[in-house]
Amino acid sequence: MNSAPETHPPKPYWNPYLAGFLLGLVLLASFVVMGRGLGASGAFGSVTAVAMHAVAPAHVQHNAFYSEYFGDGSSNPLKDWLVFEVLGVFVGGLLSGALANRIAVKIEKGPRVSNGWRLAGAFVGGAMMMIGAKLALGCTSGQALTGGAVLNLGSWAFMICVFAGAYALAYFFRRQWL
Amino acid sequence: MIAPFFKFGMFGTEASLVVAFVIGIGFGFILERAGFGNARKLAAQFYFQDLRVLKVMFTAIVTAMVGVYALSRVGFLDLSKVYLVPTLLVPDIVGGLLLGMGFVVGGYCPGTSCVSASTGRVDGMVYVAGMFAGLVGFGEVYPKIQSFATMTPMGHLTIAKYFDIPYGLLVFAVVVMALAAFVAAEWAERKFGDGSAGTTGGLLESTRRLTPARILALGLLVLGLFALVGGDPYRGNTVSIDPRALALSAGRGVVKVSPGDLADSIVKGTQEFRIIDLRPAAEYAAYHIPSAENIPLAALAPDSVSSDDKVVLYSDSDLQAAQAWFILRATGDRAAYILAGGLNAWKDQVLYPVRPAKPTALEAAAFEKRAAVSRYLGGTPRAAGASSVQPIEPAPAMVAPIAPPAAPDMARPKKRAAREGC
Repeated sequence: MNSAPETHPPKPYWNPYLAGFLLGLVLLASFVVMGRGLGASGAFGSVTAVAMHAVAPAHVQHNAFYSEYFGDGSSNPLKDWLVFEVLGVFVGGLLSGALANRIAVKIEKGPRVSNGWRLAGAFVGGAMMMIGAKLALGCTSGQALTGGAVLNLGSWAFMICVFAGAYALAYFFRRQWL
Repeated sequence: MIAPFFKFGMFGTEASLVVAFVIGIGFGFILERAGFGNARKLAAQFYFQDLRVLKVMFTAIVTAMVGVYALSRVGFLDLSKVYLVPTLLVPDIVGGLLLGMGFVVGGYCPGTSCVSASTGRVDGMVYVAGMFAGLVGFGEVYPKIQSFATMTPMGHLTIAKYFDIPYGLLVFAVVVMALAAFVAAEWAERKFGDGSAGTTGGLLESTRRLTPARILALGLLVLGLFALVGGDPYRGNTVSIDPRALALSAGRGVVKVSPGDLADSIVKGTQEFRIIDLRPAAEYAAYHIPSAENIPLAALAPDSVSSDDKVVLYSDSDLQAAQAWFILRATGDRAAYILAGGLNAWKDQVLYPVRPAKPTALEAAAFEKRAAVSRYLGGTPRAAGASSVQPIEPAPAMVAPIAPPAAPDMARPKKRAAREGC
């Protein structure tokens, strides 16, 4: 038997309604067990704050953005709910990818864009996304998904603007994806 | 009501990290199976070719929304204890636009990029690196844009409250809107897509059978209809009190905070407690425990205190504080404590602690700590001995401290508590 990847085609993705229903149940479980929803961007903030603190402690203490992650200093910012949740996201994604034969070192992009441009776009997009998430106190997980389910005013304003911003810019980036 | 389990103290912070990890695994697994580890699948949303993002997101939102509503209405979940990210309208709008643009440029959002990176996608890994770069950039310019980033604060606010629409009606409207959006999405996929998406397993599938997707849609619609007539999940809850259990828990002393513990909490600046002075305003003006606010007993209403607050109540003695405690507890399950012995005990134990006559080494060390706290809070430690150099009675008059001396070594700089949100 040949165990080359092409003999194990990746399993198809789930039906989106099924995936959404299960995701909704996970979100509901988070509300019931913890009294809070899902998140992602906050964990990256904690890690960055700790890394910056290791490099330039005085700078971090005088910066209102970083110092917030350290609270009253009595606990380690990495012993944080979101940090552990996001670690779980990495593990869960890996688990699912492995079981579906979808682990592969590759670049996801449209056929008409070079690898270099795609990676540059990924870097810049990641930075833009995170600046937006920090302004809005949350990303698609913590604001749109979580706040959406509890009818949070700011989350719905945020969610509408995410779609508006994406659709407004989509035409100019069509070569990257189509 | 027993949920949220964590907020009702069923497990501690350490155990919550395990819960976080397990929930995260479920989250990551589903994101990957939904196709969200693939930037092209995600971006297809914005070209009307494969509207998975919309379908997954809104199915999840609606499922959790009707679930939260139903569990609150049957008295299982206390919705007021579920965290709401505070609304900052202008930053939410600007941040949302920026995030949406970043989505099209980069192909992911923070959660999906984790899944992409962990399944080996190089673009996902570079995206994560970009997020760190964005964070450092944001952190560096934050002092300059802080006033913008904190403008238009509206607090913890639901759409129902802001527009004064019944919560249940809004739940129903969101369900109907989502189902309409799914039908429109499937129609768009047929028109703009290459035929790979939405043809099977969708609501518009060309069969008369009750497919799983249709059963789910029907179920959500039924729960939405229930919400339409079900009332408000925040206010509608009838709190059943068992006076006997309430009285016994008061008697056991579990609801009391000792003056020493409260003083330590103030000195450390943990802002763990919201301290409420129940005496008349004039007495409050003459002296009050640092950081205490004044709500005279007669003015205390159940909604003066949010159910998220950990409250310490005090008056001259225990009696009025106990009355206030019953007012708060009888109208909702919340963390309310009584300052043991009231201000009299605060005076004796914290402000003017008395040095034991013949202290052991242990007692002496404990007294030194108490004395430091006393001086920090504007008090004066007193010595007591066989000779009674300093009279114990009467205690010095209490005045508000003017400038407290340096904090004892247990003090830490006071900072805002870390955010609970994303």
